[in-house]
Amino acid sequence: MTDQIREQMSALLDGELAPGELGLLVRRMERDAALRRAFGNYVLAGESLRAPGCIIASPGFAARVSAALDAGGAVPATAPAELARPAPRWKRPLAGLAVAAGAALAAVVLVRPGTDGGSLVAQQAAPVTMAVVSMPGGASPTPAQTQRLAGYLVAHGQYASAIGRRNAWSNALAADPGINRVVYEASEKR
Amino acid sequence: MANFPPSDGSTDGHEPRDGSERQASGVEQSDLELVRRVQRGERGAFDLLVLRYQHKVVKLVARLLRDQAEAEDVAQEAFVKAYRAIGSFRGDSAFYTWLYRIAVNTARNSMASRQRRPLDYESDLNESEQSAVESRMRHGDTPEAAALSDEIHRTVNGAIEALPEDLRTAIILREVEGLSYEEIAEAMECPVGTVRSRIFRAREAIDRSLKPLLD
Repeated sequence: MTDQIREQMSALLDGELAPGELGLLVRRMERDAALRRAFGNYVLAGESLRAPGCIIASPGFAARVSAALDAGGAVPATAPAELARPAPRWKRPLAGLAVAAGAALAAVVLVRPGTDGGSLVAQQAAPVTMAVVSMPGGASPTPAQTQRLAGYLVAHGQYASAIGRRNAWSNALAADPGINRVVYEASEKR
Repeated sequence: MANFPPSDGSTDGHEPRDGSERQASGVEQSDLELVRRVQRGERGAFDLLVLRYQHKVVKLVARLLRDQAEAEDVAQEAFVKAYRAIGSFRGDSAFYTWLYRIAVNTARNSMASRQRRPLDYESDLNESEQSAVESRMRHGDTPEAAALSDEIHRTVNGAIEALPEDLRTAIILREVEGLSYEEIAEAMECPVGTVRSRIFRAREAIDRSLKPLLD
């Protein structure tokens, strides 16, 4: 088994390893210092054969580079888009919530009571508002529903800029009656 | 003791040479696969790239700086920079070309900062000592490093001499002449799998000889 792995290492050095063999080999070598040492010696032998008496890295150089990467907390720059990994599964619902909260917030802010043209904007915004906080049967919003909307805003706040957060909290969440009004207006238009 | 100089007089193997484009592209492809893995977050793949190019980068930097001790620090810095920037590597050039460019720039920066530093050791050396230092700087090597390099070369050659003829031919055609496995198989009239096995066994024999020297 070890011979087979080391033969793969030898082929890797020559650019003759099948792509399907690479993944497992890299993981094995990452775990096994003896394999890395042998790989280093394969490289060294080639260098010595091609350029007798040439300058070579001192033993332990590669380990020092590895330690420097560990100690320095070096992180590779962002990978090209086609190589970037998708967002972790647990983040995806939060991203969806942020979008929904953003849409709800836009509707709420646009129809604040006492602003000129509020009813016109409310007409345009009604479908969006209904999608987020629809009131079945024209019922008044329950405390639980109001709390849910506040939850959306909190989630939105985690993704929005500081200015966006400030606007959201000062213009929308603090104006509870406004939120109710939007809900009623939207319900009446159904 | 046999010497095996490169057939085309070059001192660097694996770079593209006349007649060996296919082999070079195999190594480049292999590098690219490793780079892709680093970009996906596999640090171990970068460690392999360091192992593969450490001697070439140290040699390049030492020639530019004429000081192997400092060359290793600068080469290390170059590898760290390469790791940090590897997300931007798209494979438009060979990985080693990209890496060498980083190494050259890092060496240039080091030389620029060194010129700003006072050479305070000069005043403490007499003329002959200073001459010896300058001589070592010209050769870009320390006596210890030169002795180790010579010892490694003797050991590798000794191991090659002791190999059965088919293993010796396979490893020389690969390492010195830069032939691909397919080309070696054709030259030696044997299957590609046999070539792969012979080269591996030759390397194992050399590794066994080097181990006591380097451990």
